[in-house]
Amino acid sequence: MKSVIIGAHLQRDDIEPVAEALAVGDLFLSGLPVADDQPLGDRDLLLRVAKVRAALLDRATFIAIRYGFAGSPPEVASKCAAHVERWRALLEQHRDEVEMTLKVVAPEQQPRPDRRDFTSGGDYLKALHAATTAVDVDPDFRAAVENAIGKGRWLHRDQASLEFAALVARDAVERVRVAGEELKQRFPRVPFLLSGPWPLEVFADDRGE
Amino acid sequence: MIVANDEATLRQQLAFTDSMIPERISADPEIVENGLAKLVLSIIELIRRLLEKQALRRMDAGNLSDDEIEKLGTALMKLEEKMNELKRTFGLSDDDLNLKLGPVKMWE
Amino acid sequence: MDETLEELSLLEALDHLLDRGVVIAGEAVISIGDVDLLYLGLNIVLANVDAIVRTGRK
Repeated sequence: MKSVIIGAHLQRDDIEPVAEALAVGDLFLSGLPVADDQPLGDRDLLLRVAKVRAALLDRATFIAIRYGFAGSPPEVASKCAAHVERWRALLEQHRDEVEMTLKVVAPEQQPRPDRRDFTSGGDYLKALHAATTAVDVDPDFRAAVENAIGKGRWLHRDQASLEFAALVARDAVERVRVAGEELKQRFPRVPFLLSGPWPLEVFADDRGE
Repeated sequence: MIVANDEATLRQQLAFTDSMIPERISADPEIVENGLAKLVLSIIELIRRLLEKQALRRMDAGNLSDDEIEKLGTALMKLEEKMNELKRTFGLSDDDLNLKLGPVKMWE
Repeated sequence: MDETLEELSLLEALDHLLDRGVVIAGEAVISIGDVDLLYLGLNIVLANVDAIVRTGRK
């Protein structure tokens, strides 16, 4: 029996009975037991895990572990042992917060650099990277997003969109939703997608303060 | 919770199709019917895109040495070149290889 | 909820599930030189191959 690991949580009660709790150090990992030969790329399994994730977030904030990590309890425990201290610090620091994200489609796609223009691989990779970071949107919109959601980070995921991620207090989610509706009114021609709450994802890689 | 402005554009432009969401393969027999070359190249292309995406993430994180950037960049260039050669050899276009997400009805 | 919005909602949930969070090295690691790049994506790609091959045999 292997378990598909979902997240790292402070308390066993944050997990049970929604999912199975595996103790690692003084933290607990949430898991969904599946058959050993269950392929992870199974659509139904993905949907199940997405549902469990949402139910777990209802109980408490947790550190999201990227989908695809599965194993027996001892395997899981040994691979996560090194992260436990850092995770605990993050979980305690952000206990009452959740992540919110806002994706926005950039008005112009950055053209993809042509590899035939480059002799150096490093220059090509840097140019590819520059094309993603060159993506930008209306500064008024940017400012409005930060006002609506709070302090956060702008991420460059690809050449056609930009994303904003922020931690907000759990009880501020409704306020953010309302602010999102106002953004829609104020910027009717900017295609954006505000979603949440999410567990610690973007901020899960941080060193705790 | 979701607030969306201009759903149609979002659906088209946001990079969901570049993600790793698996297809309901049995509902898309076209991929199987059109031969092994297309199948194999589709998968290699998917891996190539994933590799490129990950390389860009590492660039974002800023934790690559100049040497590593050079090696990664060169490998990605070569992979791209190889893919183009293979596509030409088998007469396949980018559209032929596109592992598309498919309409939402496939999810049920 | 309108159909497109529902679809977006689903795609968002899956995007967050598959494309974020802490990466724990799985069994499959693709490296270029010494740089580990692809950890978990490969599991899903391989699972797709498996499904494709099985469907083809029917």
